[in-house]
Amino acid sequence: MRNPRTGWLLLSPTLIILLIFGFAPFIYVLVVGFHQWNVFAAEDGLLFNGLDNFRRLVFDEDFLHSVGLTVRFAVFAIGSQVVLGFLLAQLLTRDFPGKALFRIIHTLPLMVAPIAVGAIWRLLVIPGFGPVPFFLDRWFDLQYQIGSYPDQALWTSIIMDIWHWTPFVTLTMLAGLSSIPREPVEQAKVDGASRFQVFWYVTLPFLRPVLLTTVFIRIMDAIRTVDEVWMLAGGGPGTRFTGIYIWRVVFPRTDYGYGSSISIITLYLTIVLCWLLFIAISGRRKGDIE
Amino acid sequence: MKRIFVLVLLVAFALLANMSLVTADMHDWWADAAAPYAGTTIRGVSESTPPSNYVADVLAAQFTELTGINVEFETTSWDQMYSKAINDMEANTGIYDFVYIEQDIIYSYLAQDYLVNLTQFAADHMDLAYAEYDESAFTSFADYFKNADGDLFGVPMEAFVKVYLYRQDLFGDMDIQAAFAEQYGYDLAPAESFEQYRDIAEFFTAYGESMDMDLWGTTVQGSTGHPASTYEFLESIGPSFGLYNWGINLETGSAQSAHGGALDGDTAVEALSYWVGMLPFAPPEATSSTWDEVASSFAAGRAAQGWVYGENAAWIATDESRSAVTGNVGVRLPVTAPGVIEAAEMGEGYIGYYDGGAFGIPHSSRNKEATMLWLQFIGQPSVQAEWAAAGARITHTATFDDPLIAEQDAKVDGYYTLLEEQGPLFAGAPPFPFHAQVREIIDPFIHRVILGELTPADGLSQAAVAVDEELARLGYGM
Repeated sequence: MRNPRTGWLLLSPTLIILLIFGFAPFIYVLVVGFHQWNVFAAEDGLLFNGLDNFRRLVFDEDFLHSVGLTVRFAVFAIGSQVVLGFLLAQLLTRDFPGKALFRIIHTLPLMVAPIAVGAIWRLLVIPGFGPVPFFLDRWFDLQYQIGSYPDQALWTSIIMDIWHWTPFVTLTMLAGLSSIPREPVEQAKVDGASRFQVFWYVTLPFLRPVLLTTVFIRIMDAIRTVDEVWMLAGGGPGTRFTGIYIWRVVFPRTDYGYGSSISIITLYLTIVLCWLLFIAISGRRKGDIE
Repeated sequence: MKRIFVLVLLVAFALLANMSLVTADMHDWWADAAAPYAGTTIRGVSESTPPSNYVADVLAAQFTELTGINVEFETTSWDQMYSKAINDMEANTGIYDFVYIEQDIIYSYLAQDYLVNLTQFAADHMDLAYAEYDESAFTSFADYFKNADGDLFGVPMEAFVKVYLYRQDLFGDMDIQAAFAEQYGYDLAPAESFEQYRDIAEFFTAYGESMDMDLWGTTVQGSTGHPASTYEFLESIGPSFGLYNWGINLETGSAQSAHGGALDGDTAVEALSYWVGMLPFAPPEATSSTWDEVASSFAAGRAAQGWVYGENAAWIATDESRSAVTGNVGVRLPVTAPGVIEAAEMGEGYIGYYDGGAFGIPHSSRNKEATMLWLQFIGQPSVQAEWAAAGARITHTATFDDPLIAEQDAKVDGYYTLLEEQGPLFAGAPPFPFHAQVREIIDPFIHRVILGELTPADGLSQAAVAVDEELARLGYGM
């Protein structure tokens, strides 16, 4: 089994699948990104246009606006999920009446498909029919219309995402907290450390790998969010995130070349963002990784 | 006397026998023609609309029973329907054997040669030709699905216009009439001018508020997250002010007034200003409303009047399980600016969009023969009347004279008569091979005008520039 050939042989089915369904489409998108290709153009087919698509997106206000919205969405949604997820995980490490039931109910949103989450929230918040605007108007005289106020649409998307994905963060944090050895925590307490000091100097360093992984997964999810927000507000003002913008360019506009270039840049931005976070959270810098 | 009685009995018997033979023959023909394809499953995709749902729920089952050919018919949202159909046809995957072709997208599909020429296909497969199916039986709406040679590329399955609906119970209320006359100085009646329409909208919004009712003055299809708002402006409001073909001049390839276009012109700005000016008189869901929600709002009794697609008129007026205003729905032509009706009558314009669609067979279909049988089944005269009554759509000229439609016409305040007599005042979408591409460019500007982030003049001015840039990129512009 130590023969490298055996290892490669065992890995080969997975590698072949990855090559076909992961690498090949990526190369295809990369190639298309350097072409002008709209099936409904007067001249059909791929026309090589070099870096024109990438130059175009630098001046594309709609794209830049969508990036700004996506970053706001990701920062607020993920930040809230991490804080809430950690607090709920802490809660679940203790015993309290109805804990099992709470755990089940708390985890339920995770099992709902994003498109269904979007539909549920749309029914909740659509003016004229949904209970949320009705009671906000009746009790607080608040006008809540996600179609009329982009900020309300954005914040509704953020709250919906928090509702949907906080259970995931809770579960990962719970796994992380459960794996922390008791000795360092008890030793710190014996040495007179406050609860904050225990959290900051003991718990957090132990949780760092879990935190890093969770935040990476959530960042990637948040940046490519389409389905639930699409159902909620159709990608209107306030919710036209990068994923939705790409969808609009690629499908209704059938501008495959430009859509591919936006996808590539979005992937690049995701990698850069994750790398910066990796450095920030892990504390590693150039030369540290040996 | 006895002889006469026997003779009458014999004649009646002969007629009945003949009828049953004809019916049996008909059944036999479908079974015989479909025999080589029995057990085949044909798949189609369409928007979830009343006429499409009737196809899925009623006609598909009837066809399967006659032929043994299964029909899997996917009714989905409008944008998903387009994505699925175009991706399938472009990639030549053959998932769908028939696709919904909305009138406005036919030019794009023909330009890409996505569709089978049905006239030619029928001529090449005479063994599949059903005697009762006749292309000349369709209304002139079918012309939108023909090429220059007159060959048909889609079997029309729905055709309707966007009409002015109003609440007869509210308009006929004596107290309301008196209050309106006192406030505005003229009698309350269905609007005949934009000024009257606005007055009525303002009046009923205030009335609803004063009576603590969920009632507003007008519908507005003003979704800020969906192309529906652009469509209402470009295809209903714009033409009624005299803005045609989306303000795009195909000869110069421009939407800007400076280059022969009209999207940023005075008429367009006036139309858009008027339309967004209706938002304060519309229900709060207006900025989230597509055509479906507009119909639902009106059916829920939340608007006194509005621009509503005709395909919804029948169920709003008659279906008590879905509508709170049954029996109280009035139907009129939409309000137009002076001169617009006259221009439409002379063929120099139109007052709104003649909407509808057809089912066509993509070249990528692997079951063209079986699908051709299906299209003839839905295109035959005998299924038209009940379908028209259920979906407020008419594609056969003879359907207008059917007793069932005459009965339904009375319940829908003459909608079908209006469709027959005034239909020619409406027109299909302009023959753009870049329909969805350019509409997607215009959408964000219309949305921002609705939100108040741009004035109508600025929004249309910026939209016209963006359209010209896109047309140039697509190779249709200057």
